[in-house]
Amino acid sequence: MTTITGRVWLFGDDLNTDVIHPPQFFSLDEEKVRAGLFHGLDPGIQPRLRPGDVLVGGHNFGCGSSRETSVRSLKLNGIGALIALDFARIFFRNCTNNGIPCLTLARARDLQALRPGQVVNVDPEQARMTTEEGEEIPLDPPGGFVQRIWQAGGLLALLPDSRPERGA
Amino acid sequence: MNAGGRTISDKIIDAHTVDPADTGAYREVRVDALLGHDATIALLVDEFERRGLKIWDPERVIFTNDHFSPPATIERADISNTFLRFARKRDVTHLMLDRGICHQLLVENPLCTPGSLIVGADSHTVMAGGLGACATGMGSTDILYALATGTTWMQRPATVRVNFHGALGKFCNGRDVVLELLRLLGESGARYRSLEFHDLADRPLGQDDRFAISNMAVELGAKFGVFVPDDVTAEYCAARDGHRPALLAPDPDAPYERAVDVDLSALTPRIAKPWSPGNVVSVQDVETRPVSVAFLGSCSSGRITDIRDAAEELDGETVHPDVRFVVIPASVHVFQQALRAGYVTTLTDAGAVFNHSSCGPCGGIDKGVLGADDVCVSTSNRNFRGRMGHWESRTYLASARTVARAARAGHIGPDLYEAGSAGS
Ligand code: SF4
Repeated sequence: MTTITGRVWLFGDDLNTDVIHPPQFFSLDEEKVRAGLFHGLDPGIQPRLRPGDVLVGGHNFGCGSSRETSVRSLKLNGIGALIALDFARIFFRNCTNNGIPCLTLARARDLQALRPGQVVNVDPEQARMTTEEGEEIPLDPPGGFVQRIWQAGGLLALLPDSRPERGA
Repeated sequence: MNAGGRTISDKIIDAHTVDPADTGAYREVRVDALLGHDATIALLVDEFERRGLKIWDPERVIFTNDHFSPPATIERADISNTFLRFARKRDVTHLMLDRGICHQLLVENPLCTPGSLIVGADSHTVMAGGLGACATGMGSTDILYALATGTTWMQRPATVRVNFHGALGKFCNGRDVVLELLRLLGESGARYRSLEFHDLADRPLGQDDRFAISNMAVELGAKFGVFVPDDVTAEYCAARDGHRPALLAPDPDAPYERAVDVDLSALTPRIAKPWSPGNVVSVQDVETRPVSVAFLGSCSSGRITDIRDAAEELDGETVHPDVRFVVIPASVHVFQQALRAGYVTTLTDAGAVFNHSSCGPCGGIDKGVLGADDVCVSTSNRNFRGRMGHWESRTYLASARTVARAARAGHIGPDLYEAGSAGS
């Protein structure tokens, strides 16, 4: 997985999937899914996002629904990486499966040091983030299973080609 | 790593591990059943077809259209049709057209038994834990993988043991119990954990109460919310399937990360204030506030005992003129039970409106969604900002009885349970 460069967007604890992507924007239409990101919170955020941007949250990032439209929307908006103190389980799996790296801060206090709009580089494989001022922020190394999915390019790349259907 | 005792989720995951030699953190596990609904399955249809995949076992798949049932817009009708076409073409055995909310249909299905391992394309799949199953929600990509292979990857989670003691009072049900757990543990109090519920109460919790508790395990961040199956479970399954199921129990020396004790006798009705299901207080401590919408429904409630409680509160009474009271039975089966019991007449006489068994306004989806000025008291499971409609709307979570009392009074507040208002 390559290094990501983008601007920091800061969020709080328990950022739930209904706030990330409100249910009204559930659709199979990519434009609608893309436009819905953070729409309830602030409709001004989505148009200002740029590819590679890094969303930073506190505890329990992504709690709530399993609807993968929230992750699709992050992808369609080109979000580079998610950084938090910890992640909710389903959301973490969904992001990982779709190749969006979710990484946790090795030192909780680094959350206070990050500023909105600050440009950072994130190296998911090395579990390292550097700020534009050159400050190094250590991240927890991803587990072996997560790395395997990243390296494959997403969960679906691990699908066995064809398994016979039961009774076939 | 299996030395020593095992919790219920340890046992279920071990029993479903594809390669018994694999004791790694993530293991490939077989699933006994897979649950899906219109909204989340529609997201994977294109990819599934593009890859030329087959469903591993269509007899173990339960699909329902519950989010858009029946669809209210052209876009939703198209999503619904995409889903239905996919299910019919692949001969999904349990395709339940307009029969209710997927989680309720899962626990009404014999595939859901103690000890089974179930994945579902929706976070509240945990509710099947009410029957002693390890069931968990996943996103569409994980579900696509499981649908094609009958397997997924899982870790054995750490387990938090929850002991229920005492006896639940007349005015409380499983909703109050789980809201109390949310008050105690918070929205991430069981993140990645298995919650293992031990019903040690003097009077066992009813099956509907257990479903309500397991349903909201995910609001605590849990991966599973599993009741140790007992006679209550066995009787429910026997009435459903015609035979008693095999039960399983954790080992006496099973390792628990922590234990939480809840004295049901001391519990009073609870309410979660906007905008977090963890923002819980006693109804006696909530500030008085008029409500404009009362909602009894969702997979979290909307079962026969919930509708019964509401009917008891509103028998011969009227819903406050400033309140819209929407009732949605969790399944058509529940609706029929309510019809036979006369609850539908009682509640509609009082002024309630019944909608078809579906998610309704729960996810801000269908009839009953909230406008900017609405204040709603709801039996659903999430009061996240904007979830039930407008970003400025406000939702309070409570039990069916509290919702019915608020519908009658036109407000929430401590007086809902003051002496003299205790109902018949
Ligand atoms: S009723 Fe609500 S919580 Fe339950 S499945 Fe439907 S949208 Fe989700």
